[in-house]
Amino acid sequence: MIEVDGTLKSRLAFWLLATVSALGVLLLVEAYFSSQRAAERAYDSQLEAAALTIAEAIQWEKGQPVVEIPSAALQILATRHQERVFYAVLDADGHTVSGNLDLGISPDWRRRVSSQPTWLNDSYHGTQWRLYGRELDSAGWETQDPVQIWVGHTMSGRDALTETLFEHAVTRFVVMVLLAGILMLLAMRVALAPMRRLRHQLRQRDADDMRPLETRVPEEMREMAETLDSLFTRQREGREALLRFTADASHQLKTPLAGLQTTSELALKSDSPDAWRQALTEVHGSAGRTSRLASQLLSLARLRHAVEASATSRIDAMALLHETTFDWAQRDVSQAHDIGLAPLPAAPQYIQGEAWALRELLGNLIDNALRYTPPGSVITLGAVSHAQMLELYIEDDGPGVSPETLEHLHRPFERGGRQDTEGSGLGLAIVDSIVRRHEARMQVESAEKGGLRVRLLFPYLTRHEER
Amino acid sequence: MSIRRVALVWLLGAMAPSLAWADNPLIVEAALDREVAAPLLDAFEAAHPHIQLTFRDRSTLEVDARVADADDPPDVVISSAMPWQMSRVNEGYAQRLDSPAAQAWPEWAKWRDEVFGFTFEPIVMAYRLDLSRHMMPPKTHADMHTLLTQHRETLRDKVTTYSPSRSGVGYSLFQQDARYTTRFWDLVTAMGAADTNLEANTRSMLEGLSEGRYWLGYNLLGSYAMVWAQSHPEVIVQVPQDYSLVMMRMAFIHRDAPHPAAARAFLDFLLGREGQRVIAGETPLFSVRSDVVGPYTAQRLRDQVGERLYPIPLNASLLAFVDPSRRTAFMDRWQREFRRLSQPAPAQGAAITEPRIDKSPKR
Repeated sequence: MIEVDGTLKSRLAFWLLATVSALGVLLLVEAYFSSQRAAERAYDSQLEAAALTIAEAIQWEKGQPVVEIPSAALQILATRHQERVFYAVLDADGHTVSGNLDLGISPDWRRRVSSQPTWLNDSYHGTQWRLYGRELDSAGWETQDPVQIWVGHTMSGRDALTETLFEHAVTRFVVMVLLAGILMLLAMRVALAPMRRLRHQLRQRDADDMRPLETRVPEEMREMAETLDSLFTRQREGREALLRFTADASHQLKTPLAGLQTTSELALKSDSPDAWRQALTEVHGSAGRTSRLASQLLSLARLRHAVEASATSRIDAMALLHETTFDWAQRDVSQAHDIGLAPLPAAPQYIQGEAWALRELLGNLIDNALRYTPPGSVITLGAVSHAQMLELYIEDDGPGVSPETLEHLHRPFERGGRQDTEGSGLGLAIVDSIVRRHEARMQVESAEKGGLRVRLLFPYLTRHEER
Repeated sequence: MSIRRVALVWLLGAMAPSLAWADNPLIVEAALDREVAAPLLDAFEAAHPHIQLTFRDRSTLEVDARVADADDPPDVVISSAMPWQMSRVNEGYAQRLDSPAAQAWPEWAKWRDEVFGFTFEPIVMAYRLDLSRHMMPPKTHADMHTLLTQHRETLRDKVTTYSPSRSGVGYSLFQQDARYTTRFWDLVTAMGAADTNLEANTRSMLEGLSEGRYWLGYNLLGSYAMVWAQSHPEVIVQVPQDYSLVMMRMAFIHRDAPHPAAARAFLDFLLGREGQRVIAGETPLFSVRSDVVGPYTAQRLRDQVGERLYPIPLNASLLAFVDPSRRTAFMDRWQREFRRLSQPAPAQGAAITEPRIDKSPKR
């Protein structure tokens, strides 16, 4: 089930937006303050110029400073934003020589100005004013007293300039973000191109084309491509196994059918009822074997291709083992062998599984042992409880198999290198399928007594599952 | 006062909302002759019948004093004393007007969108017909100086102009004259030598001309003089041919206007097409707007007089004129120059020497 969880684009856009907005807030705060500083510098210099112009107009007359306020100074103060203007010329005692508004220059301010030119922000009748004061050492014939010049104006020009500068900064920032966004989209197109190429290639493949991929991918996609490749490999193997199985099955069925045909042909040519009877007996036996072969094939096919696990239940493996062993020990086919149980753990051992399949499993193993061992052999079944696993085993004291054959014993139609038995070669293959269905493991090895030992390791029910 | 207010509230509550508008007073303090402004006021009352207009015609100094009256502030302040108006606006007595008419108003005729120069009145010379029998009437400032010098005895006591100490307008005009040329002081000296009569307003000068007391007037408000000349054929108005100052009457809405809505309506009317059309057609105040047609428009005046019109700039430089020490210095100099020839030096004592050393060499 494929669940679509947003797009990569929206995810990238989200992160870009988040980082950009966090960064943006910082940048814009900085931009605002630097705009304010820039505006302040620009207009402060006009205050300075106006103060200098007024200073130029101060003269001493009869021991008193007099000033003829130059119009130009006032126009410089007003700026092109038509600010309201303030000016005052104070003598050494703080008396106003000339001035227009009573902004109330405090003695404290005058002291500060006497040491160095000073900038001030002040509120007057609810309006913000920017003031500048400087002291002038002027000399007349009679007196040499310092004179203070104060100028100021309202701040709409500064505010407007701050706003303009800030707006420009914001505009630049927004344009930058937009460009970054567009670049991100382009970059994503480029970055996702290999993905699109791969998708295109996969879509164009034939349904039964299981060859490895031939494409160029960036490092980040190597793992995915390799996974895809290994998926193809498994599919190819599965398909080949299926083809082989079908071919083998046809072959296996063809041999007894050909025998049946030969037997019946010979019988038809003969006039002897005895020959007919003998032929019928052969046909009967052969049909029985063929029927068994067909049923085994059927069950193998069922096991291998039943995808849906049928209902599993909690099973006491000891009881099952007991029951199946006794069932088989009483059959006619096992009369020539000695089938027995090794001592079992006393307590019931629970595993999760399908009872019919487990019975089939044990049955096949016993059947195999019966078929591939000479009469009189001892066949022993048992169980050992490990920490995480329950081990069921079956061993015999028959001739065993060579180590190189051991590895592919579980393949269909493998008879352990023997052609002398009536077995179909499907027994262990069926066992193998059932073991896989139960997520168990099968180990085939030579027994201590020389025969074959098959160990099946089942996982116990976990505590959680037990509840 | 309080009883009247209670009564008003009761009246407003009792009447229908539409009638409540009928009692919508508007107080305008103006240094503007009611006779001259009458057509404008009538047109406003016709356009806004619900506003009860109270128009108080006062002198510029009275108007200026009324602005600072905290107990009973006016709604609209109009004055021809430009520096004083500017100073009041700079002190923060005006409030902003953001109407479309205010926005469209030319930049050179407004300041801070708070105060608006809504007229365009040339400053003129006026003479009596008697003068032309004795001499060539003056056309320029230089002519004026020449006449005063050459015909001093003929013109003695027959010349009139503003008193800079008693009239704000006169003071501003002389300040502006002095800004353009230092030869202005020669003219002052010449006027002083001819025992020129100093009047407080244009009307007195015009009356003197009509009565025959004066033959020649300098720096009269062209608006008043032109109206006067229409009904007094013995008076001739001359727009100076070298340069002619132009004065603008400045109007603003008071910060504490008790009736701000009516005040805005009034100013919008003054600046709007309708008000300016009346100014151009029915008053000699001259319309500033270039899209208005009539006998009295700034455009028409420019066409007649040429580019020699010098409007007094409506900007912060006006503030310098009201600076007390600058005013004192100017008045000192005025007195000195005015008396130089009529009351020779000894009367002035030692004080006269210093400024002469400073300023005279520049002439």
